[in-house]
Amino acid sequence: MKLDLDIEKRLGSFSLRMKTDLSGERIGIFGASGSGKSTLVHTIAGLTAPDSGEIHLDGTCLFSSRKRINIAPEQRRIAIVFQQAMLFPHLGVKANLLYGYRRSRPENRKVNPEALIEVLNLQDLLNRGVNNLSGGEKQRVALGRAVLANPRLLSMDEPLSALDDSLRYQIIPYLKSVSEEFRIPYLFISHSLSEMQLMADQVLVMTNGNLTIKSTPDDLARAGMARSPRGYLNMLRLGNALFRDGLYHYPWGSGALIVSDGKTDGESLFELSSRDIILFKKNPEAISARNMLECRVADMFDSDGRKGVVLESGGSTLVAEIVRSASVELGIAPGSTMFAAVKASAFRRLG
Amino acid sequence: MKTTRHVMQRFVIALFALMMTTPPAMAGQLNISAAASLKEAINEIADKYTAKHAGTTFVKNYGASGAIAGQIENGAPADIFISASTEWMDYLKNKSLVDRSSQKPFAYNALVFAGTTTKKVSGMKDLAGLDKIAIGSPKSVPAGEYAMEAMKKSGIDRQLTAKLVMAKDVRECLTYAEMGEVDGAFVYRTDALQAKKARILFVVPEKLHTRVVYPMALTVTGSKNAEAKSFIAWLQSGEAKSVLKKYGFELK
Amino acid sequence: MNLSPQDFTAIWLSMKIAISATALSLPFGFTTAWLMVFRNFRGKVLLEVLVNLPLTLPPVVIGYFLLLFFGRNGWGGTLLKTAGIEFIFTWKAAVVASATVGFPLLVRSIRLGMESIDRQLLQASRSLGAPWYDTLATVVLPLSFRGMIAGSSLMFARSLGEFGATIIVAGNIPGVTQTIPLAIYDYASSPTGTSMALSLCAVSVTLSVAILLLHEVIGKKLEIRRSE
Repeated sequence: MKLDLDIEKRLGSFSLRMKTDLSGERIGIFGASGSGKSTLVHTIAGLTAPDSGEIHLDGTCLFSSRKRINIAPEQRRIAIVFQQAMLFPHLGVKANLLYGYRRSRPENRKVNPEALIEVLNLQDLLNRGVNNLSGGEKQRVALGRAVLANPRLLSMDEPLSALDDSLRYQIIPYLKSVSEEFRIPYLFISHSLSEMQLMADQVLVMTNGNLTIKSTPDDLARAGMARSPRGYLNMLRLGNALFRDGLYHYPWGSGALIVSDGKTDGESLFELSSRDIILFKKNPEAISARNMLECRVADMFDSDGRKGVVLESGGSTLVAEIVRSASVELGIAPGSTMFAAVKASAFRRLG
Repeated sequence: MKTTRHVMQRFVIALFALMMTTPPAMAGQLNISAAASLKEAINEIADKYTAKHAGTTFVKNYGASGAIAGQIENGAPADIFISASTEWMDYLKNKSLVDRSSQKPFAYNALVFAGTTTKKVSGMKDLAGLDKIAIGSPKSVPAGEYAMEAMKKSGIDRQLTAKLVMAKDVRECLTYAEMGEVDGAFVYRTDALQAKKARILFVVPEKLHTRVVYPMALTVTGSKNAEAKSFIAWLQSGEAKSVLKKYGFELK
Repeated sequence: MNLSPQDFTAIWLSMKIAISATALSLPFGFTTAWLMVFRNFRGKVLLEVLVNLPLTLPPVVIGYFLLLFFGRNGWGGTLLKTAGIEFIFTWKAAVVASATVGFPLLVRSIRLGMESIDRQLLQASRSLGAPWYDTLATVVLPLSFRGMIAGSSLMFARSLGEFGATIIVAGNIPGVTQTIPLAIYDYASSPTGTSMALSLCAVSVTLSVAILLLHEVIGKKLEIRRSE
């Protein structure tokens, strides 16, 4: 997907200004509320027109103030997943799902409804009305509806913000698998960096209507490590746990991660703060923390006076956070071997 | 404060008392309730009377005779009642609201069909070819009752359903005819003579309806009023009769 | 209860005129409400004032204006005359009189319903491939049903009671334009007609109650279907 933007829009005292070229399949737009994320999505989708500028998607001009082109939203094939699902209350689940599908051109239909219903697990909901669905069910239907419209681009405007934590991370796999399976690129808007880390390959950071940073979620997380209240959050997708002595042993890297709040069935997503990893130069042998991982320092980075240490073991990585003096004291450098201690209770299971 | 509250209370009471009292009948005021078709004639006759009897003033109420009878029945002030048919006089007589001994015929009239239509209308049978005909509502307007009588007697009443526009009195009929909203209306000759645009298309044959007579009488209240008695006597005078003649009323 | 054949005709006429007036006004009412809620244009305020005007004007004034416009010397009248259509003092005039007086009530109700439609639903519809008229028909219209029903009931009820404008522009013609209120007026002018008038009044009240009940029932049904 290739999206070229050069737009300006003023809304009262707020003004949006963006000039950038994007290419990729999973692009995130990150920023605080009021930074202009929604306005940006609305202009790309054609729901409001910029005051001036140009928008090109995969070579097609969607908007040009100079040439007086403004393609109507229904012709842009950019489907939106809203924060509040926005399912049509007077239609049932099936009718909602097929709303966009019925209006798409047969030659554009590359998403198969049955396949999608299976991927999103919607079989049991098909004959129900939409008003008594749970938040998670609604969002899955909303996602299905948007994808079934066979869009060129999927715009997800904070689709998870209205859901509670456990639900949020259950839906993320659906979002990703749908995009991969049906090869539909997406713009993912959120104010949560964790969600960005899971969903996007690149991130655009918006502040006060302007594009301030263009980066990857990981780099962004690393750069903000010191300022963030919980440091850098390592997102770990772990599965195939063995339950022994009241703890869950997940294979990871060349060894295993021992977690107190785990599950034996299926995969789970865990969050581990960089600040919960203590580094030892030598294996302390007797330690209450159940995890003692021997790792190689793959990389180090600075973050506002702290040091981030990227630890590697059997191909998997973890980022630990220490103060600069500690890194000097322990003589940590890329290539050195370190022992990382993590308590079993430090892993927070997300979904 | 205390004194202002006192003043306010007094004021409210006074206002209330004022609203509750009815103004006493002014000495020399006569209430006349008469059929709508008599309006101009009675106005002139009353003026002539006042010229001679300076102390008498008139409050006149014109309308459909049935409606007026209903008003009197419900207590509306009236000293003299003049109806356009005997029906409504009898109605009040049966309710003992008029003084029977004072009843006398005041005038007579003819029923005509008047309008602005260009269609050929020379008699009752031509009415079936018209679109709309105004008549006073027979439930309360004598002119409408006479008209219905005539329609029934000439056998055309069935053909005319859905063409009849009900008016609240004979003057409203005339207005409908004048404005051209209807092809024509059943009014009295005296009303038609006042018309500006409508003209008399034909006179309804007398044999088709009861004679149009205007009985007049004193109401029970009026019978206790010397001025009322004096006025009703004057209504039979030569002067009054010449006014009636002027407006086209028949005197016998 | 004391009803003459003419009274039954009046009842039948009242129903016929009320239903026609409501049916006639619905498309205009819906369009007007849609314009006022979802569109911005110059002169919108003027439209709002015009739509609400019949609410504040005495019905006889409305009747008189209709008479001026549709009478033999008015624009509408001459137009209809060339088309050979009779209007003044026919049941058509009664329908238009009722429609005019009831229109603001209809628009108001539909507006209220429309205003509660989340704009994002319309955005969703557009982004899923529906042009504005498709969105109007498949999203706005269904979600306006409640408002339309509420407005229609109000309009129907108002129509049943319409007197001032009707008597001026349609006249009191038994069998043609004499609706229940006009028939009651006819009876009420005569001192002997009070019992007949009361019978018709009772019918009038019964009809109004019936409509209000029906309105509630339909409203509940729509509510139930929504929450399945």
